[in-house]
Amino acid sequence: MIQTLTSTSSAALAASNRRIAKQGRTVQVSIKRCDGPNKPSRWETFKVTTERGMNVISALMQIAANPTTIDGKQTTPPVWDSGCLEEVCGSCTMVINGKVRQSCSCLLDDYVPNEGDTLTLEPMSKFPVIRDLWVDRERLFHNLKRVKAWVPIDGTYSLGAGPRETPAKQETRYKLSECMSCGCCLEACPQFNVEEDKAQWDTSFIGAHAISQARLFNEHETGKQLKDERIDVLMGPGGVNDCGNAQNCVKVCPKHIPLTESIAAIGRAVTIRSFVKFFKG
Amino acid sequence: MSDTTKAKPASTPQGFFDKHYHVLRRLHSLTGIVPIGVFLIAHLTTNSSLLWGKWGLRHEGHDETIVSGGVHYFWKEVQWINNQIPHLLLIEIGLWLAIAFHSVLGVYYARSGKSNTARYAYQGNWRYRMQRLSGYVALLYIFYHIATLRWGWSFLVPGGAKWSADFAASTLAAALRGSNEGFTAMGIAVSLFYFVGITASVYHFANGLWTAAITWGLTISQQAQQRWGFASFALGVGLMGMAWASLAGALLTKPSEMQRIELQLLQEKGKGGAMPGEGAALVDATPLVNVPSDPEGTQPAAGGS
Ligand code: HEM
Ligand code: SF4
Ligand code: SF4
Ligand code: FES
Repeated sequence: MIQTLTSTSSAALAASNRRIAKQGRTVQVSIKRCDGPNKPSRWETFKVTTERGMNVISALMQIAANPTTIDGKQTTPPVWDSGCLEEVCGSCTMVINGKVRQSCSCLLDDYVPNEGDTLTLEPMSKFPVIRDLWVDRERLFHNLKRVKAWVPIDGTYSLGAGPRETPAKQETRYKLSECMSCGCCLEACPQFNVEEDKAQWDTSFIGAHAISQARLFNEHETGKQLKDERIDVLMGPGGVNDCGNAQNCVKVCPKHIPLTESIAAIGRAVTIRSFVKFFKG
Repeated sequence: MSDTTKAKPASTPQGFFDKHYHVLRRLHSLTGIVPIGVFLIAHLTTNSSLLWGKWGLRHEGHDETIVSGGVHYFWKEVQWINNQIPHLLLIEIGLWLAIAFHSVLGVYYARSGKSNTARYAYQGNWRYRMQRLSGYVALLYIFYHIATLRWGWSFLVPGGAKWSADFAASTLAAALRGSNEGFTAMGIAVSLFYFVGITASVYHFANGLWTAAITWGLTISQQAQQRWGFASFALGVGLMGMAWASLAGALLTKPSEMQRIELQLLQEKGKGGAMPGEGAALVDATPLVNVPSDPEGTQPAAGGS
């Protein structure tokens, strides 16, 4: 399944590419390389011989085994991050042919079906690069902490069974719970931009993922104990009001999480809370 | 988190923005609709009467051409606004302040984003980008529009026409054409600027209505957002029609011809025929109507429309 080629035409394109792709062809993979934090980056292009069902990670493994560029230059093996290899952990997220997505679920046949086609790989641009395609997503997790994206049940004794959940609420929350903190929604968001100064993180745009997670836990029968705290953060600088409604986030989310609905739902919660605070203090 | 938070002095502009962040954001959203957007609707309704005025006057038993009916109806509207609305200047100042507030914050907010339509050429992303671009264009346009036609900064008007309520249509048309007769080169430039300016303003308002419903949390589900999108689009199309009709109505007739009609109206209403201030020079070259001497003040009423 091509999950991040969201428009029907590109999903159809991927399917037809897969039909015409011949195995054993040679394709080129251009990688934006960087030796370490704040080091300059450069492009290097490698040849890859395709195998059946090959994904970007297996192409990278082939390159790493013999890191020679198309100009015959010996170089270091490219570095990337990955974990689950089945699009549930989010760690392999990178920019492929100009758009952000997971590399483990990205099949070469879909993108480069012809002999000599070129695939480009870049690290995400909104996070600091650790090396090559590997980025540091600390700010993404920091922003989840800002909204206390958890259920507060820690204590010294058993609290017993929690309150009941209705199936309808469960259904809404299930979709939201699929977020894998990959960062696609942040990479594609025009309002979420690089912030090198960590002191600014708490007042910079928090991003669609954290807004949606706040909704997930506000809708949870126990999680809603922290509702006001979450909404207060989302009402403040860098909160939901920073969203400019470009709605790229929902287009690129590989889990098809209704992020723009979460943004509007949190917008409503913020509206209500600001009136309550105004009149009740 | 505390280790990453450094308290900033509250006196910096950044501190002020942060402290009142939510209220400022929502006031920005609100002012875009009330009063600015509401005024935009009223303003375009009045101005487009330059084109539909003939039909608006039918019940009064007049049988006029499109041009004379338009000039007549527009003239009546403007007279009404300037003579019947109490505290007009106060209302106007409130409106200008709202526009200034929305614009200053709008520029500040617009600068906080980085458009990426090259990579993510989605429709919504283009709307986001155009919302910011149209904001900048509207800012320049509205400033020029108010400064020249309301504040009388006629040094910015090619041909130097000065708008007056008694000669509402003709002075407007002269300011657009750059002369009382044909178009001058600068007049064409001003007219094109008007076209771009009003188009940007209407787009900005219609798209803003759509996003405002998300901002405030009125539309939540995708279907609701889509439905409100259609509604905003329909309103935008209607307003765009009125905006273009206003411009067409102002551009299609020679100012001198409009002025002839206005002089008649002024005579009928017993107001005499005061020549518009700065535009008078343009008019004097081609006297069309004998102007009776006017005992009461020869200064035309200045005011907004
Ligand atoms: C014709 C006059 C104008 C009208 C009727 C108008 C109306 C609106 C409306 C209704 C919104 C939606 C608010 C929301 O999404 O919550 C908006 C947003 C916006 N306006 Fe205006 N506006 C006008 C002029 C301007 C000007 C002169 C600027 C200056 C650049 C500007 C910049 C912006 C920006 C950047 C936004 C997006 C704010 C955000 O999404 O956070 N607008 N406007
Ligand atoms: S919301 Fe979607 S795109 Fe954003 S981090 Fe979660 S899974 Fe990734
Ligand atoms: S809708 Fe908001 S969060 Fe989503 S991409 Fe646009 S600006 Fe970013
Ligand atoms: S490796 Fe886990 S999502 Fe790709």
